[in-house]
Amino acid sequence: MDTLKICHLYPDTLNLYGDRGNILCMKKRMEWRGLPVEIAEISVGEHFDPYDYDIYFIGGGQDFEQEVLLKDLAGEKGTAIKRAVDEEKVFLTICGGYQILGNYYKTWDGVQCDFLGAIDVYTVGEKKRMVGDFMFRLSEEDGGSIVTGFENHSGKTYLGKDVRPLGKILRGHGNNGEDGTEGARFKNVFASYSHGPLLPKNPKLCDFILKTALARKDPNISLKALDDTFENRAAAFMEKRLSAE
Amino acid sequence: MKFPISITILLCRFARFLLRRLGRGGTNVPGTLALKLRPDILKTLSKDVTIVLVTGTNGKTTITRMIEQCFREAGFSYFTNRSGANMDTGIAAEFVVNSTVRGKCQYPYALIECDELAFRKVSRYANVKYVVVSNIFRDQLDRYGEITHTLTGIFDGIHNIPDATVCLNADCSLSTSLHERLPNKVIFYGLNCPLYKDRVKEVSDAPYCIHCGKAYRYDYVTYGHLGKYFCENCGYRRPEPAVAVEEILSMDADSTTVRLKFPDGEHKVKINLPGGYNVYNAAAAAAVGTAMGLSDETVTAALEHFECGFGRMEKVTINDTDVRMILVKNPAGANQVLSFLYNIEDPAVFVVGLNDRYADGTDISWIWDADFEKLVSMGDRLHRVVVTGIRADEMAMRFKYAGLDPQKIDIIRDYSELLRSVTKEHIPVFIMPTYTAMLSIRELMSREYHIKEFWK
Repeated sequence: MDTLKICHLYPDTLNLYGDRGNILCMKKRMEWRGLPVEIAEISVGEHFDPYDYDIYFIGGGQDFEQEVLLKDLAGEKGTAIKRAVDEEKVFLTICGGYQILGNYYKTWDGVQCDFLGAIDVYTVGEKKRMVGDFMFRLSEEDGGSIVTGFENHSGKTYLGKDVRPLGKILRGHGNNGEDGTEGARFKNVFASYSHGPLLPKNPKLCDFILKTALARKDPNISLKALDDTFENRAAAFMEKRLSAE
Repeated sequence: MKFPISITILLCRFARFLLRRLGRGGTNVPGTLALKLRPDILKTLSKDVTIVLVTGTNGKTTITRMIEQCFREAGFSYFTNRSGANMDTGIAAEFVVNSTVRGKCQYPYALIECDELAFRKVSRYANVKYVVVSNIFRDQLDRYGEITHTLTGIFDGIHNIPDATVCLNADCSLSTSLHERLPNKVIFYGLNCPLYKDRVKEVSDAPYCIHCGKAYRYDYVTYGHLGKYFCENCGYRRPEPAVAVEEILSMDADSTTVRLKFPDGEHKVKINLPGGYNVYNAAAAAAVGTAMGLSDETVTAALEHFECGFGRMEKVTINDTDVRMILVKNPAGANQVLSFLYNIEDPAVFVVGLNDRYADGTDISWIWDADFEKLVSMGDRLHRVVVTGIRADEMAMRFKYAGLDPQKIDIIRDYSELLRSVTKEHIPVFIMPTYTAMLSIRELMSREYHIKEFWK
């Protein structure tokens, strides 16, 4: 089997709230199955070929570093990311990483900042942050399991008509705290507001994402089951606590 | 009409008396009451008092205790907030307790540890003469939002007190940016040498120049984003520290010996506390000592004599076993603790207590940014790993993904059983709890093993 290549975009800038744990999770779950995996890190000022990798990961960041990023994204990096999305490469993007794939971000006082437009969503800033543990149910196409995580964002994101939500909110805010949606799915893009990080406590989603990427190499791929006792126990604890709220 | 100060003080004292009778060490209720009745109470109570205030993300408590030892060595008459009551309410309560009913402070000096965001509220009224900023790291972002909010909070705090002398960490590019925007007299402290041969893997909280956004370059990094940084693009660079560690002479499990430069000369100092990050804390304490005009000898004696505070490498003996407690709360701090633990020579038992109450930070995702892999790589010296606390399951999972065999990870939620279990083999124990987990474990230690209660 070909090596699965994962590209971590902006690991030194978009690195909040343990988001790099998602990379670790994908890597370990490949290794535990004896499958070859490689991680590459691409930062500001570095170029990449959109065809080189199978999975792209972009995490969340702080606003004050945004300017550095926007400049970088305005060049060929932005074009490469858009191309990779169009070519149905698998993307996992969290919070700020989710927002920059969208069309734009408008601050609460009306300043508009254009983003990549790789997926048809836009974000509007709010003064009040949406912070706390939250829970949602993945849509049936993505496995339908319950996901728990931690959200911390001031942007409210709204989905365009070709984009479906990653899940339906059970507790907390999700995309905007209004329409009950959380995250976004478009082609092979998985976008979410869930830090925590997202994948370790939600191994089914992690495996679903890995499988989506592996199936592009080998349509008959099946993933060996792993012992997820620790993962399921951590998730069950949060599910129980949030359900009681 | 303002509420009379004497009645405010009496009411607060009464509230505190009641709480203590109920066996609770809390200081927030009396302080909240005081601030409610008299928002400007600190203005009256801090009149004629020389206040030294310590703030910043990591190291506040240790720096405060080091300065306290300087005060003792110098024979100062002072009071200080002891039990981690570092919000405006806790600080107000301490002033109330240490003042006469007429509102006159009984001590000429006050040594205050202050939360970064409470700082601006405190300095609005209190007459602060000396400020120490330890460093600025990412910490409990659920509460602070972003690192720049912390920076702004500290800026506002200092902005209230233009006559105060400010001691800043020269190696922290975020802290030093305060200098350019404030009229205050500044004394820089820092490390003129790297800290470790073998650093943990960690992310920088400030990789890009705060002025122009270009990536910093470093002559050396001590840890996190701290080090001798410079920006090739705009010329922003680390200032030369007046108080500096020139060389690390030796490091072991109990202390670190350094060559410390003061404005008027150098001294060899044995810092009576292990861990590289405590070298920074010592330099910070030395800087404020220098600012206050204390002799170098007083400062060095203090660093050699002082004993550590509440949950900061505090050592107790339980069942004939050394148990050390080291507070962890954010990735930068945890990485420093992990660096220290990685360098211990003998096998040990490691406990992580992960809670997610408000005081701990409700977001525990920082455990994925801390390099627990380093601990796992200790091999035979990692005798046993036990996890506890509200989010023990999550911590157990973190260790699994760090590469530890799940069979070797124990979850023990009951603290009483935990202490019994980890001390039964008489192998040294290191407990890394978050704040409220530490309070609970500490309380149990005092109840079952008669280790003194922290607020006494």
